[in-house]
Parts: sequence; C-alpha cells; structure tokens
Amino acid sequence: MVGSGEIVVDGIHKVFKKGKPDEVRAVDGISFTINKGELFGLLGPNGAGKTTLIKCISTLLIPDSGSVKVGGYDIYREPLDVRRHIGVLTGGERSLYWKLNPVENLRYFAALYGVPRKITKERIEYLLDLMGLTDKTRVRVEKLSSGMKQKLSLARVLIHDPPILLVDEPTLGLDPYFARFIRDFVKNELNRKLNKTILLTTHYMDEADDLCERIAFMNRGKIEALDTPERLKQSMPQKQVLEIKCQGTLEREMFSSIEGAASINISHGDGFAYLRLNTDNPEIILGNIIELVRENAKIYSVRVTVPTLEDVFVHLTGASLKDG
Amino acid sequence: MSFNQSRQGLIHTLLHYLRAINAENIKEWKIEFTYKPDFVRQFIEPFVYLFPYFLYGFALLGGRYSEHLRSITGISDMVAYTFIGYLFIGFLNTACWAMGFSLRKEQWFGTLETIFVAPVPRWVYVAGMALHSTCHQGLIMLIQAVAIATFFAIVLHMSGIFIALLIVLLMLLGLYGLGIIVAGLTIALKQWWVVSEALSTLIVVVTPIAYPLAVLPFVLRKLSMFLPTTYGIIGVRHFLLGEELAIALPTIFLRLSLILVVWLTFGMIVFLVMDRYGRKRGSLSIY
Repeated sequence: MVGSGEIVVDGIHKVFKKGKPDEVRAVDGISFTINKGELFGLLGPNGAGKTTLIKCISTLLIPDSGSVKVGGYDIYREPLDVRRHIGVLTGGERSLYWKLNPVENLRYFAALYGVPRKITKERIEYLLDLMGLTDKTRVRVEKLSSGMKQKLSLARVLIHDPPILLVDEPTLGLDPYFARFIRDFVKNELNRKLNKTILLTTHYMDEADDLCERIAFMNRGKIEALDTPERLKQSMPQKQVLEIKCQGTLEREMFSSIEGAASINISHGDGFAYLRLNTDNPEIILGNIIELVRENAKIYSVRVTVPTLEDVFVHLTGASLKDG
Repeated sequence: MSFNQSRQGLIHTLLHYLRAINAENIKEWKIEFTYKPDFVRQFIEPFVYLFPYFLYGFALLGGRYSEHLRSITGISDMVAYTFIGYLFIGFLNTACWAMGFSLRKEQWFGTLETIFVAPVPRWVYVAGMALHSTCHQGLIMLIQAVAIATFFAIVLHMSGIFIALLIVLLMLLGLYGLGIIVAGLTIALKQWWVVSEALSTLIVVVTPIAYPLAVLPFVLRKLSMFLPTTYGIIGVRHFLLGEELAIALPTIFLRLSLILVVWLTFGMIVFLVMDRYGRKRGSLSIY
C-alpha cells in the first residue's frame, strides 16, 4: 500500500496482446507516490514502459489492475476530474495543429479545458510572452522550428494552469539550446516558482540527474530502484569508474574475465566507442584493460571518474539507458 | 450538494461542452481554409456528380418530364425530383465520413492523445465534427439548391420550408447516431473506411434519392424503413415539390422520432464500448 500524495500509483499492471506469443508486459506491478510540489523522474531506456505508465496516469489507457489517484481523484471513477488537474506534454511537436497559428492553437485548447473566455486572451498573451513567442503569434505552427513547437506545446499544457504536469521526454530531438531552455523552464519556473508537481520521463541520464528530486529507474515494466540521484549513485558497490574513449570494435564479453571490474557498459557517440566499467581499484586493472582494448581499437583517452546514474542503471539492470 | 448547486454545476458543464463543440467546429473551418484548392473542390464536385443523374434521366425519359414518374410520385419533373433527393447525399457524407473520420483524422494529425487528455467526454469531438460538417454541407447544399433551382427554373413550395426543415432536423439527429457508431468503430478497426464505404453505399441504394420507394425490391424497401434518410427525402419532397406521400405524415414523424432515439442511443453505446475497448487494448496509438 502506498501513502497519500499528489500522484499515488499502487500496483498497476498493463499487458498488451495478453495471452499471445508476442505478449508485452509494459507495466508490471509498479507502485510509487509523488508528493505535492515534487519533481519526480522516471528514467529508463526506450520500451521500459515509461510512456505506457504516463498514459495510464493520464487516463488514456486503462490499467489491467492496480489503482492510481491523481490530485486525490481516481482514474477509473473520476477521469474527467483527473484530466482537469493535469497537463500532459506528450507526442512531441505533433501535439499541435500545424495549420493553425499559436494563438489559434491555444484558444482551441482553452475552450477544451473550459478556461473562462474573459481570461483566455490574457492567459494566452502571458504564456506566449513566457515562452518568448510573442513575435510568432500569427505564424502557422508548421513554419516554427522544433524547439519553438515544443515551447508552444508547453504553453498548451499550461493553458488551464494545472497543478500537476506529466512531461514525457520533453527534450527528445531538440537542439542543445532549446533542450536547455526546456530543462531550465521545467525546473525553475514550473517546479520551483509555480510549485507544480511534475512527473518527468526521460532516457537522458543528465536530464534526470539535473532536474529530479527523486528518480525511479524503470526497466521492462518494473521499477528497479527509487531514490534521490545522490543516494542512487552512493548505492554503487564500486566507487570509481574507469572510462576509455577509443575508435574500434569493443564487445562486453572481452572484459568479463577481469577481476575487480563490474557493470561493463559500451556506448557509441560522435564516431567513438566509450568503455565504462565500475571498480574500486582502477590502478590495478588499468593495465589489463588497456591491453585488451588495444587488440581491437585505438585509444584516445583514459580517465577515472565517479559513478553516474547511467552506471547505476547498468549495475542494476545489466542494460544501458541507450538500449531499447 | 444542494439542488441549486448541482443544477448550476450541470449548466456549467453543458456550457463547457457546447463551447468545446463549437471550438472543434471553428478549428475545422480554419484548417479547411488553409487547403484552398480542396475547399473550392468541395463546392464544385456536387454539381459535377449530379450531372450524370440528369443525363440518365434525359436519356431514359426522352426529356425532363415523365408521365410515368407522375403516376407513381405525383411529380412529373425528373430534374426537380432527382435534385432534391441528391441533396441528401451531403448529409449522408456528414454521418459516414466527416463524423466517422473525425477521430482517425486527429490520429493522423498526431493530436488525438493530446485532445483526449482534455476534460471533456470523447463524443464531444465527434459532435464538434458533426456541427462543422452540417454547417459545411448545409452551405454547399444551399448554394447547390439555389443554383440548380434557378438554372432549371424549379418552383419550390416555400410555404412548406419550415416543416421540411423540421423533418431534416429529425433526420439529421438520426444520422448523427449512425455517424457516432462509425466514429466508435474507427477506434477499434484498422480499415474503418470499409464500414463507412459499405454503409454509405447501402444507404444510397435503398434511400429514394433518384427513384421512388415503389421501384425498390421488397426486401430493400423494408430495409429502407429503418433509415432516417428515407423519411427525410419523402417528407421534404412532399413539402417542397408536392410529391404524393407513400407514408402518412404522422407515421413519418413517429418513425423518424423512434429512429433517432434508437440510432442515437445505440450509437452512444457502441461509441462508449469502443472507447473503453481502445483504452484497454491501447489501440489508439497503434495505427
């Protein structure tokens, strides 16, 4: 049983294609509570079940079992009350009408949410000003950049001033400038200043680490761990991470026989391969590791650092956040 | 909660839904205006499709007027008879295509889930589309009616216009029931348009658009008695052109009223069941 809170999820399950060979257990007995004014993160790779969970909480999907209360309202019995109290940012830039301009979009959603006519105009002006879109009010959405569309989507979510926000992968596909704007806005404006309760899903470790007060690691429909980012990182048995940047082909199995190395993770980016492994004694295993890497790759840099959330995730699940 | 509070709450909720329905209507107009050539096409096409009906008639009758048609309907003018019937295809399009298509279109836009998390029941979006399409089709039909009546010098009995409009209103409500059934089925069926296509084709065949009920085979004639369009066309032709009634007027009103209650109720049940099915199965985001 989970205690009281702004969002209370208690033992929910959601299985797709039940009983068929390709059955998917998207959400598998998840429970957690999000307190009022908290910025809570769901971190997991693609296919972990984050979006399905958000859809259950926002009444888009009916869970197979378990209970969910949002703002004190039950998602089964009071779905309209739940929807009145939440703003849902999902679907990325396609969640707007591209043939309409920002004002027309916001006016339409204000009507759907029952925002009184007399305050609709000032609310739209306020939100467009907040998002820095006042010079784009009459430009069709299709002509806006991806970042501007996401800003407008945020304005749409806020049109009825909901106390609870469900934000699904808010920076996915955005360039660094707009991604930073969205992160700052979510943290400083929405959470700190306006005291909104926020459930944020992401598969960007830095985003979760930077924004969230507590994080739930989600993998294959289950929560693997739930705590503050600091405590999650402190929970690692090995306190140091050895990272090698190289070019070439690396396989996890190559390093499995090395004693004192745990949670081996290989990722790729910018044309390089990155080998990360957790250890308490980097100076002892370094020689062996370098020797093994050199057999297949050219080394560019070696560094010893502290565990990140990605390392914790790999340690707990054996999978990378970039998997999926 | 006192009676007054709950009444105020109900009125507030109804006003909210009505505003949402109108917002849907306005949004559709705005989006349609951005596709200008398609918008113009929708006003021209009905004239083009009507033309072959007239040509068939001219070829078979050897002219515009027919004594045989008069003997079975009381109207000898084939052009007037056909054009009034043809106007109703527009309303059929509202039900089978515009309403039925409403949710799937949002899915194609990518906005379905965004609007589905708003605090209004899902039928509100279908109702908004019904309002929009009725206005849109009404405008097209008005232009068509004025143009055809003027060009062919058709004399309509304007004294019967109000009762004819009342019949159209009842018929439309019945058709909305059909439209909401199709809208519900689109949630669950991947190839939903098969349902729309089959329904609209069947209704066009058994509804007396270009021919009187008397020429339909027995089974189809019986089938047509379950369709609101049958009574709509018969009633409107009677009041605007003076067609002899094949069914007594009180019976028309009674059956139309019954049909609209049955179709609307059945439509809402199908829609709610399909909506729940879609939310359980997660079919909304599959296609």
